[in-house]
Amino acid sequence: MSESEPDMDLNGAPDAVDTAAQPASGDEPGAPPAIFDVEKLNVYYGDFHAVQDVSLPIGKNQITAFIGPSGCGKSTVLRCFNRMNDLIEIARVEGTIEYHGVDLYGLSIDPVEVRRRIGMVFQKPNPFPKSIYDNIAFGPKIAGYKGNMDELVEESLHKAALWDEVKDKLKESALALSGGQQQRLCIARAIATSPDVVLMDEPCSALDPIATLRIEELMQELKADYSILIVTHNMQQAARVSDRTGFFNVELNERGQRTGHLVEFDETGKIFTNPTVKATEDYITGRFG
Amino acid sequence: MTIDSTQPPEPVDDVEPLPLDETRHHFSETLDEIKRGMVQMGSLVTENVRRAGDVMLEGRLDLAPAVIEHDREVNRLYAELEQTTFETLARQQPVAGDLRFLVSTTRILYEIERSGDLAVNCVNVAQRENGLPESPRLTALLNQMVSECCSLFAAGVDALADMDPVAGAALDAKDDVLDDLVGRYYAEIGRVSEEIGLETSIQLSKVGRFLERIGDHAVNIGENVSYVITAEFPGDTHAGVAEYE
Repeated sequence: MSESEPDMDLNGAPDAVDTAAQPASGDEPGAPPAIFDVEKLNVYYGDFHAVQDVSLPIGKNQITAFIGPSGCGKSTVLRCFNRMNDLIEIARVEGTIEYHGVDLYGLSIDPVEVRRRIGMVFQKPNPFPKSIYDNIAFGPKIAGYKGNMDELVEESLHKAALWDEVKDKLKESALALSGGQQQRLCIARAIATSPDVVLMDEPCSALDPIATLRIEELMQELKADYSILIVTHNMQQAARVSDRTGFFNVELNERGQRTGHLVEFDETGKIFTNPTVKATEDYITGRFG
Repeated sequence: MTIDSTQPPEPVDDVEPLPLDETRHHFSETLDEIKRGMVQMGSLVTENVRRAGDVMLEGRLDLAPAVIEHDREVNRLYAELEQTTFETLARQQPVAGDLRFLVSTTRILYEIERSGDLAVNCVNVAQRENGLPESPRLTALLNQMVSECCSLFAAGVDALADMDPVAGAALDAKDDVLDDLVGRYYAEIGRVSEEIGLETSIQLSKVGRFLERIGDHAVNIGENVSYVITAEFPGDTHAGVAEYE
């Protein structure tokens, strides 16, 4: 299986998957092919309607950013892409997310396999209390990786722009690394299992500005091999790093609940120079939020 | 070696920040692209001034379409680079030298684009007059003016390509030479105006004005380059203020 053409078998039973399904196209002419197609996504936590009617395509080998005020549902939406919300008992997802044309929430889909294909990096760097080497080797070992582990570790660390800084101390604790290095280690760990998507939930909010810029630079390198979705409170970061941006906002629904919805989704250059919706302009210019 | 997971060592701050080019490689590349685009525009305009000279001095009216075609390319680059600059300002939050570069870019783009229009204006005069009158002294002066103007504009473009902060002074001196030639050219037009007629005299005066303005734009390019590097405009005058005074 090559990284560019991932096997669509997310359930271990190839004949259960519609192999004729083609990657959906982006909705605009000239847009890259979509790796995800989201249609009328609604998320509920028990009775609480957290996210309403989100529809958008996610471009392959692009960086897509979700921005918006707290509570707008951007992280909730992000977690739908690798079924992390399954881990929350009261969470319920409606609508469809197609991944390479396959319904991610189909009955036969194995969420563990989904999470291997669609890796995640969290807000706070969370390396395992193990050596740098073992942090990278852990995922592939669990997944039954049979190749040369040393090579895989080195390759993953190279891709995460960390190799030169850690090559002489692979057996030392990952917890001894700086915050920025720890986050790049987490990125190396996420890509060691050969995902084709990396989700990033506020990956730089615990880092200093230089470490932040290094992660952003790394994202630009990684998008050649991976599609990246990033949630960020820092709209300047979305402006700097992403190809397309979705602005989410929150409003009271008829039951008085603060429900998140997607206000505008477009090329990042367009969003930050000439957004179509006034609420987007008000948010990015700091007029509210 | 064993690792005591119960006692995580204190994370240390990131050591030795990388140089900007390594930390913001993509941003630096965009700035380089903008600069290369401006230099390309500038070279096209220099070439067009020379070509406009051939149209006027050698009666090569057949070159007029090429001048206009090249100016279209200048205008296309102008629109493209302005959009890139606009978007980069909006998206990259430039500060310090990067900010000065991008703000100056919007001014330099204007100086280059306007100079391109003035070269076309020279060609328009030649077309309107169906070639310039045969007057050896006027032709000799115009020849020198075109040559000085090309050399001055090329020097402005070189200052930009090299980001040379001291080129501005040399450009100013060269511009004095051009201005002096233009003054003598006006005097010569006055001398022969009855012979060549009022309308032609006016048209030839306009050519002098166009070339003199191209020289001023070249000087402004140099001043903006100085500003990018030193954060100050050479001398006491701000190019933008001088423009309107």
